[in-house]
Amino acid sequence: MEFTLLFAAAVGPGAAWIVLRFGEPHDEAEASRRELWDTMLTGIIAGVLVGRLAAMLTAGVNPITHLGDVVVIRGGVATGWAGLAGLVTIGVAAWRRRRPKLPDALAPAALTGLAGWHAGCVLRSACLGTPTSLPVGWAQPGSEIVRHPVELYAAALLLLAAALVWIWRRRAPLFAPAGAALAAAGMARLVTEPLRPSLHGGPVAWYAGALAAGTLVAAVALARRSAKHDREPPPPRR
Amino acid sequence: MLPPTSEVELGSPYTPPMRRLTLSLVVLLAACGASSQSIDDIPELPAVSTADLTSLLAGSDLPVIVNVWASWCTPCRSEAPLLAAAADEYGPEVRFVGLNVRDSQTQAREFVAEFYRGAAIENVYDREGGVPVDLGGSRAVPLTFFFAAGGELVVLHNGVIDERTLAIQIDELLRG
Repeated sequence: MEFTLLFAAAVGPGAAWIVLRFGEPHDEAEASRRELWDTMLTGIIAGVLVGRLAAMLTAGVNPITHLGDVVVIRGGVATGWAGLAGLVTIGVAAWRRRRPKLPDALAPAALTGLAGWHAGCVLRSACLGTPTSLPVGWAQPGSEIVRHPVELYAAALLLLAAALVWIWRRRAPLFAPAGAALAAAGMARLVTEPLRPSLHGGPVAWYAGALAAGTLVAAVALARRSAKHDREPPPPRR
Repeated sequence: MLPPTSEVELGSPYTPPMRRLTLSLVVLLAACGASSQSIDDIPELPAVSTADLTSLLAGSDLPVIVNVWASWCTPCRSEAPLLAAAADEYGPEVRFVGLNVRDSQTQAREFVAEFYRGAAIENVYDREGGVPVDLGGSRAVPLTFFFAAGGELVVLHNGVIDERTLAIQIDELLRG
């Protein structure tokens, strides 16, 4: 039924909400849990809207003359544009509110939300990918072709990345957790993409771009901290 | 520094950034959108009965995907580009049939002109919309039937189909 996508989509933001609601206090971001959740939700909505518009324009459908089509999310959302819009929205929120640590505070929740979105495939029977002989695979109802549960692989990778970023973020320099999260999201999609049957091969350029950009941000953040440590005089001996 | 709201008057050279952004977005979307389509080169869709379609399915050496659509169906508009792309990619291996239901010929032809011009999809016309019901579906649109070669119904997908689902079902047909 059509509502399965809605239920599955609710798992993603739901997972992110649980992390923000029950995780440690986010004092380092100088933001309340509610502010963090509002920012994340705004990023999700902006991402879905821009991604949907991009998908319509790519398919040659005019969003103005066919305004009703914009809400038919099942018709397609351009993942790359959606992710970019979400990132820009969160970045603008951090800049306007002068809370530079906001993206870092949201990073583990964002990865958990993405993991939840992928795991939500169970609710809409859309987990399967290319055929496999591995025992972890299963077949569609009425079929004997065993397939990779590729969306669950992606969910597991993203959940692992969320846990690592969560552990690391307290000690990490500014923007490094956000960069690492972006890189991990790109990596998780990139390595699982060959297991997804697709008409166009999937937006691998976007995933590779996210991996490169995230790695660059994290590397620059770490290098800046390292350089800062080198410049500082050693603490005086007692 | 931005002027206070009271200083922003009609004809003032200052335009708030959001207004400019919104205006630019509207102009961009309008420019990118499809223009009205000429249907002069689109022939009338041939009428089809359940017997005609069943015969076509039984006689087909290739798997057949039958997509039920209507021009007034918003979700059909969303999935049409995907089906056109799939037909182009899998045309030699899978036969694609578009079954237009409960529509006028003119509106159906406009839809074909907008989405299926040149696509490897055979579009047929069922004014009463009874054929999908006879094939085992319902009167809802869109519907997508996946038939193996020889006419056996493998899967019936209700509602809008997404790229992954379509790709998996085609893969199932080709491996089945």
